[in-house]
Amino acid sequence: MPQKKENKNAVIELKDVCKTYFMPGGMSQSVLKNISFAVYPGEFVSIMGHSGSGKSTLMNILGCLDRPTSGVYKLAGQAVSDKTDTELARIRGKEIGFVFQNFNLLMKRSIADNVSMPLIYQGIGEKERHERAIQMLHQVQLDGYENRLPTQISGGMQQRVAIARALINHPKIIFADEPTGNLDSKTSDEIMDVFTELNKKGITIVLVTHEDDVADYAKRMIKIDDGRKVYDGLRSNYNKGSKK
Amino acid sequence: MIGQILKEAWISMTAYKMRTFLTMLGIMIGVAAVVLMVAAGQTVQNEITKTFDSMGTNLIIIGPGETVSGGVRGGRGRPSVSFDDVESLRSLKDVETASYIVNTAVQAVYGSNNYGVSVAGTTPEYLAIGNWEIEDGTMFTDRDLKSGKPYIVIGQTVVNELFGMQDPIGKTMRLRGQPFTVIGTLKEKGDGLMGDDQDNIILTPATTLRQRLRGSPRPNYTDVAFVKVTEEDKMESVANRIEYQLRARHRLKDGTDNDFTVRLMTEMVEKVRSVGLILSLLLAAIASISLIVGSIGIMNMMLVSVTERTREIGTRKALGAPNKWIMFQFLSESILISFMGSFIGMIIGVVLSQIGGTIFEKDVPISIWSVIISISVAVIVGVASGLMPAIKAMKLDPIEALRYQ
Repeated sequence: MPQKKENKNAVIELKDVCKTYFMPGGMSQSVLKNISFAVYPGEFVSIMGHSGSGKSTLMNILGCLDRPTSGVYKLAGQAVSDKTDTELARIRGKEIGFVFQNFNLLMKRSIADNVSMPLIYQGIGEKERHERAIQMLHQVQLDGYENRLPTQISGGMQQRVAIARALINHPKIIFADEPTGNLDSKTSDEIMDVFTELNKKGITIVLVTHEDDVADYAKRMIKIDDGRKVYDGLRSNYNKGSKK
Repeated sequence: MIGQILKEAWISMTAYKMRTFLTMLGIMIGVAAVVLMVAAGQTVQNEITKTFDSMGTNLIIIGPGETVSGGVRGGRGRPSVSFDDVESLRSLKDVETASYIVNTAVQAVYGSNNYGVSVAGTTPEYLAIGNWEIEDGTMFTDRDLKSGKPYIVIGQTVVNELFGMQDPIGKTMRLRGQPFTVIGTLKEKGDGLMGDDQDNIILTPATTLRQRLRGSPRPNYTDVAFVKVTEEDKMESVANRIEYQLRARHRLKDGTDNDFTVRLMTEMVEKVRSVGLILSLLLAAIASISLIVGSIGIMNMMLVSVTERTREIGTRKALGAPNKWIMFQFLSESILISFMGSFIGMIIGVVLSQIGGTIFEKDVPISIWSVIISISVAVIVGVASGLMPAIKAMKLDPIEALRYQ
């Protein structure tokens, strides 16, 4: 595993993270089993797995939308498990950028409003929000689109708006959950190019996908199967026969 | 932060203009109805007060006794209070004056005109008792009363119906074929409590009425007598003195019932006023049902809105919105809707009540209650109908909400 000794600087760090769902009647289902890994600044990591493998649950924990049942998850050095809902909301707003499969834009609101939405919860004033939104739109090559509605632009553009929204807080890490799942292959490539560009500028990206060609954009790959980590290493090595 | 929340709420309200308007309509109609009903109730109350003021409230009314046959109390008995009885009451302590009337109704004729009028045979003191004032001419005197002079003082309706533009003073009218001379006219008083025309009246000495218009085997007995008390809080004690005096004069033994009745105007006023109050409360209560319906409308709309915007709520939460923020966003939406609805409803209610007042020629007060009701409704309805949906939004699990289709 790469860079194992630099634990102090890890952006995210998981140690023996387990997630178990308890169902009524005493049944329980173990979805994540002793997952441990760390992601360092500037990395581009893909998390792969079939549907039902537990990768979505892992993503929710990484994104501070859910808490592990046991184990330690640290984001930017702080343990997340014992935070209140309000503190988690604050961490999500400040440290994390989300990109969703179905974009999750507010269809009735302008693109600038959509991009600057996370800043509302930081108490940032309207004027500054608008200026920063325009800067971010420039980063994803959507100059001049700030007053349009999401319904007036293509799916690929909508996902770029979502990426601009994820970037606006200058987050420590971006989580992208199947960001190309709703796009055709040509647009997918465009979106992945945007991520690659951002990564080159030093932004840490964790990508969840089940598509091999999307995972190819990330240097490192973590594979989850039945709630266990079954591979963690260079994507290129995995293709060369290190499959388990 | 509050400004930002309100702005977000305003934007989502305006995103669905028709739906927001229809939701608001429920509250608008409700508040307008309540304001209108409160105004109607107050107008009725004011009219009642005005009418009583025109009659005078510190009056004691003495009527005939009740008939009793075989232990069953019936209606009015035969006249039992004589003219002399009433005159004797004038000297009682705290009595300002006393008077009585004997009634009849006639067809009054002047020239080729005729008109149905009620005639009150009375005494000169009746002016003070009934809060009447002389417009023109004079009232008849005690001497006229003693000698039974055919003098009459007529109300404004009689003046208008029979004389038109002519000056009635000194003219001779015929009542039941008998000539009467008009010596005065009364100032206009307006409608009575039951909408009756108080100005359609002719006053004449009681003795004259007995001799010329309505004979009786007991000519010196009254239909009804009035005692005016100096101050309102002396009413009870004066009523007791009257009862004592009349029992003595009628030589009633202890243990027998009065052969007359004594009623206080103040008590009647209280009764009528409380009926008026109950009436206006009832009207407002009925109108407030539409408010409840309106607020259910808001709650319904907010619940639909929360469900519809589940994904938006999930997204906002994922992007850092604290739970409280989400709750206040939805709560302020419902408060804004009900606030605007009540404000518009209040204006509609006030305008409609003024239009109604113009149509029915009544003074309709614009009451401070309209404003108080509207504002409290806005807050109460907004919070009550928005709280449940807002809490529902707040409690949504962001993971579930993001997955919602």
